[in-house]
Amino acid sequence: MPVIIIASPKGGAGKSTTAVLLGTELAHAGAHVTLIDCDPNGSLSLWAERAPLPPRIQLLENIDEAQIIRAIKKHDGDGNLVIVDLEGVASRLVSRAISQADLVLTPMRATTLDATIGARAIGLIAEEEEALDRQIPHAIVFTMTRAIRSKQHTGIEQSLRSQGVDVIDPPLMERAAFSALFQFGGDLRSMPQQGNMHAAQENAAGFAQAVYKRLTESSNE
Amino acid sequence: MNDTKPFSVDLGSLKSRAKPTSAVTVHKADAAGEKHGFVDRAPKGRRGRPPSPRTGQVHAKVLPHVSDDIMTEARRRGVTQGVIIEEAWALYCAEKGIEAST
Repeated sequence: MPVIIIASPKGGAGKSTTAVLLGTELAHAGAHVTLIDCDPNGSLSLWAERAPLPPRIQLLENIDEAQIIRAIKKHDGDGNLVIVDLEGVASRLVSRAISQADLVLTPMRATTLDATIGARAIGLIAEEEEALDRQIPHAIVFTMTRAIRSKQHTGIEQSLRSQGVDVIDPPLMERAAFSALFQFGGDLRSMPQQGNMHAAQENAAGFAQAVYKRLTESSNE
Repeated sequence: MNDTKPFSVDLGSLKSRAKPTSAVTVHKADAAGEKHGFVDRAPKGRRGRPPSPRTGQVHAKVLPHVSDDIMTEARRRGVTQGVIIEEAWALYCAEKGIEAST
């Protein structure tokens, strides 16, 4: 099953939220998901401590650069989807994880700073594609997006698309329920009401479906 | 709670593709990363000052009445204070008929 790497050297871009939303939504849709927490801050571990893990999800914690390739290989098998949440720094752990990716997702807020630092991940992927002589599908997902888009958001998205960068639609909106995942654990269906839950579930499901579509497309190539 | 299932994952459509994991591949990935500033940032052992080696010195609080004398004698002979204490212990053992461990 595919390996999805959530990578951006920028901290606070929404990597862990993206990993949890994607993992829980795909598990809800029937996939078996292994989440790998490579962030020294242990965001996924904190999420897992809050409530029992949702069905079909398992979590591997404290995986470092020496273990990452072995850990991915061990769980990259039939009937299991692997999602790796990386630390928000430019480290060797990131480049090693990307070498094992079927899809790299780079979350970024629609700010110039996030886009500038996130672009380093795109540069790294291109370098690894050349070094490893294989294509590594890659997409950007905007996070913490406001309902009314700023000019900056529109400009950054247009710039990325014009350079041939894949941008996932829908973006992940700024939702109370998304940040509350780390307060209550579990998924969007198990937590108490947080703001507009229906809109949050619809947004997360739409995002997961867009990622799933890319995975099936790359599997069929 | 809304428990609707928006879509289903077809497990058969998600196929894993073999990815090389050899030492050569890891080296290439590391080299590619280093070109873009993605370098080794793994923690290197314990941080901070390493523990001092044992010196055999006796703290002044242990022998408050004679610590200065022991220190002076140790300095005169160029040995640690622990050597003086060990010799004193050997004399004590000899006088009391105790078998010293060293």
